[in-house]
Amino acid sequence: MKKIEIQFTLNGENKSLPVDANLRLLDVLRDHFGLIGTKEGCGIGECGACTVLMNGKAANSCLVLAGQAQGAEIITVEHLAKEGQLNRLQQNFLESGAVQCGFCTPGMLMSATALLMENPHPEEAEIEEAIAGNLCRCTGYKQIVQAVKNTAAESNRLGS
Amino acid sequence: MRHDFDFVKPASLREALDLISEGNPATRPLAGGTDIIAGLQQNAPRFTGIQTLVDIHNLPELKAIREAGNGISIGGAATFSEIRNHPLIREKFPLLAKAAGTIGSVQIRNRATLAGNFVNNAPCADSVPPLLVYEAEIKIQSAHGERKIPLQDFLLKPYRTQLQPNELVTEILLPRPPAGYSGDFYKLGRRRGVAVSRITLAVLAKVRNNLLEDIRISSGAVTPIGLRFPELEALARGKPVLPDHLKEIARKLGEQVLDKTGLRWSTPYKLPVTQQTFYGLLHRICIK
Repeated sequence: MKKIEIQFTLNGENKSLPVDANLRLLDVLRDHFGLIGTKEGCGIGECGACTVLMNGKAANSCLVLAGQAQGAEIITVEHLAKEGQLNRLQQNFLESGAVQCGFCTPGMLMSATALLMENPHPEEAEIEEAIAGNLCRCTGYKQIVQAVKNTAAESNRLGS
Repeated sequence: MRHDFDFVKPASLREALDLISEGNPATRPLAGGTDIIAGLQQNAPRFTGIQTLVDIHNLPELKAIREAGNGISIGGAATFSEIRNHPLIREKFPLLAKAAGTIGSVQIRNRATLAGNFVNNAPCADSVPPLLVYEAEIKIQSAHGERKIPLQDFLLKPYRTQLQPNELVTEILLPRPPAGYSGDFYKLGRRRGVAVSRITLAVLAKVRNNLLEDIRISSGAVTPIGLRFPELEALARGKPVLPDHLKEIARKLGEQVLDKTGLRWSTPYKLPVTQQTFYGLLHRICIK
């Protein structure tokens, strides 16, 4: 197996490690770092369960080779909660009934996080577009859209 | 399980071209990876021979979107998110911006690249119909030199192009259409997000004094690869923009698509839908 050395920032910490050249970012996150919040669904970029932030933008970690993360800043769902406290988006997912089986939730959270970072006051259509690459087979999406809307509305009230 | 392969990440275009200069087909450029990595995962025969992937996704020489001559130049590794959001492309090449916005999902558009889309040359490559009506020319570089050719000539057949193993598509050049042209892009998939196109159409037309002075027509997904329809364009030119004439052009487009593909299981659906949506496009563009 061919090995390559990669360095990147993972949830705010510098990481450096040798990996097999044919691994995907998803494999490295789950198997090397034990960050199993990032899920593997389809493995071909259609379901969005593996979504992470790569340099601030949503990306399917199943479609990124480990070596392509060289020098990148990667954020996974584990970075959202701080000191055991869910952030507002996560809390709103719970309160809106946006979590049922939960498999899509990490990807949904990361797509919504990417959206809110870029556009803190999204229209409903913009929320729908932001999560169009994330499949949910339980909720029917309405609760998820509501959770993102509520989060944006709260940040408005807080004056951000 | 993905087979064993090597991965290299050159720091410059020069270095990338040197890495592929031997012309070994087992050494392939990797950009957004949305076709190759998904294909490797599914053991697609097109990719099983790969021994080395050369990552060109972030090469600065392939990222620029800028004015060039009377049009624009788009770096081969510009992503669909970058293309869709670029003010110059939105203003001057709206069909391309629109097509870019329909590709995959946010996650895919953040990674997938313009050159990657047509170098892969799937029948459903969404960027191809708009690039063809804009008469895109592409710049191809190797360690030994460069060449420029029209995109139309570059695309050979499904998943085949003129690109040699020692070459990279470095720029896409779009001349600005002359004044008075307007157009639209249409895509039909099984759903809106992350959908493989079933029908794509692009039209750019110039209407003057209620006559169709010029028209450029292209399709994807319903034809083996994205292509223009020169005979149909010639036939349509000079016709008054009346519903009956536009219907006739739409009917003929259907005939020409059928000539190219033959009867398929999907024909009873796709043929009338292609004709009807094409008529709708023509009507919106020409009569308003």
